Amino acid sequence: MGAQKGKAQPQMKELVREASAALARLDAERLEELARCCQALNRDLRKKPDAHEGAALTAQAREAAGEFVVFTRVLEATRANLDVMMHLRAFQQEQLEYGGQARARHWARQEASDGNN
Amino acid sequence: MGTINSAFNIISGALDADQAALGVIANNVANANTTGYTEETATFQENSPVTINGANFGDGVTETGAESMRDRVLEGRIDQQQQLESSSSARLTALNTMQSLFTPDSGSSSSEAGDIGNDITNFYDAFSSLESNATSNSLRQEVLSSAQTLTSDVSNAANGLGQQQQALDQEATSVVGQVNSLSTALAQLNQQIMSTSPDADAGTLEDQRQSDLSQLSQLVGINQITTANNGLTITTTSGQVLVSQNTSNQITMGKVNGVTHFFVGTTDATSDLASGGGELGGDLTARDQDIPTALSALDNLAFTIATTVNSQQAQGTDFDGNTGADIFAEPTQVAGSAQSMSVVMTDPNGIAAAAAGAGASSGDDSNAVSLSALQTTVQSQLNGQDPNSFYSDFVTQLGSTISEVQTENTAQSASVTQLTTQRNSLSEVNLNNEASSLTNMQRSYQAASQFFTILDSVMASALNLGEETAVS
Repeated sequence: MGAQKGKAQPQMKELVREASAALARLDAERLEELARCCQALNRDLRKKPDAHEGAALTAQAREAAGEFVVFTRVLEATRANLDVMMHLRAFQQEQLEYGGQARARHWARQEASDGNN
Repeated sequence: MGTINSAFNIISGALDADQAALGVIANNVANANTTGYTEETATFQENSPVTINGANFGDGVTETGAESMRDRVLEGRIDQQQQLESSSSARLTALNTMQSLFTPDSGSSSSEAGDIGNDITNFYDAFSSLESNATSNSLRQEVLSSAQTLTSDVSNAANGLGQQQQALDQEATSVVGQVNSLSTALAQLNQQIMSTSPDADAGTLEDQRQSDLSQLSQLVGINQITTANNGLTITTTSGQVLVSQNTSNQITMGKVNGVTHFFVGTTDATSDLASGGGELGGDLTARDQDIPTALSALDNLAFTIATTVNSQQAQGTDFDGNTGADIFAEPTQVAGSAQSMSVVMTDPNGIAAAAAGAGASSGDDSNAVSLSALQTTVQSQLNGQDPNSFYSDFVTQLGSTISEVQTENTAQSASVTQLTTQRNSLSEVNLNNEASSLTNMQRSYQAASQFFTILDSVMASALNLGEETAVS
């Protein structure tokens, strides 16, 4: 994944496109792998690549910009979907904890029958 | 009720409940591969307590019927995302068809709408060639030929857009027919559900209603409002009621200026339906927004080329010594200029290459120079651009719109995929654990966020490298 001479550079565009696809199918393992790839790429960049490599990376970054926008949109949608799922989960847990309507009605009946409420 | 029978009732009630639960499980297994079938779980309801010798005892549970593990919030979210995805998908299809009209066909020898950019260049270049030999008949003929090619391609493009608009009109009409059928079916299902299961989940009826709602969401943008007795009111996203409990309001159609408009009651809901989502929204957006925008650009182009060339012609003298006549049919208004663009000049001697007052056959080329210069003259009608730049911008803008809609569509498809995966773990007959599914979703989101943060930094660094490289 490095930016060393003689090594084939994976296209940044492909990397981002794959991340979008992995996020769509919620493939956590693949996303974690891709994040590690990015970390490695980031480390390589800090080593200050020569002018030729720098120009190649710049071209790749420009090409990947469109895919990056797509990825951002998928990430936004995921956040919204996750919010919905978390709310659902909380709602279901609340129901489990306090019981459903039937249970509520049952306890209300008990309270009414003991004469102390 | 303090008798031993009460205790037996508790035990037998529990056994019955277990038996019913087994029945539900068997039902789930039998329907595991049925599309739209929702896993059912047995619902155990506590019975009233009993008192034996002064002591209270719980009186066990009674199985109160299967309750589908669907959640309307999640289904609603899926439907909402599905509406957006269907809309952008339909619009994308239409935009791609539009773009194909303006894409040069490398394999074709004949000129076509995709060659308009070249046609414009060739037309003005023909005047430029005439400058070198203003009396040449073949060069004069070349001007008329290139004008014919240009008008033919512009007119064909406008006709192609018009045909596509009609096809979308028919498509929208067909979609509305399906929407009306589904609305009727949903009203009937509402009626059945409200009469048979006003207080409980309606099982297969509920599944059928959800399946119809999903289909409806693909066709049109809707809102769902749960009402009393398990009823459902369905409105368009702008609030027009399509289904109210057991009544459906049909969308009617009528022609307005030759275009089909859609009405809910007496309200013209066409523009609301266009922005509302679903396949109908995408079709109507392409029909009423994208195609008119493209047609308007073509009209402006055709109008400007025809009027400026005719006007410059009138300022010169033709080969026979007469004031230059119109080369193009003079448009009376911008709208429709592209479709009606045509060449009216038939005699190449009519081209006014010479300046006004120059003698017949003088060989003067000064007006040909002016006509050729129109190629690079900016025009207010063309947003302050010359004809070639204007056309080039139009094609670029179309490509940019397609790219934008493609981005939306990809993100929306991904969102639908995610939600469907989550629903499968929650609602369909599936052995996956729901909690583990949510954890996986969180993990994916966190990994993706990390990927985003690092990549953002990588891209910024890479772009900075380019700037540094460019400076050095």
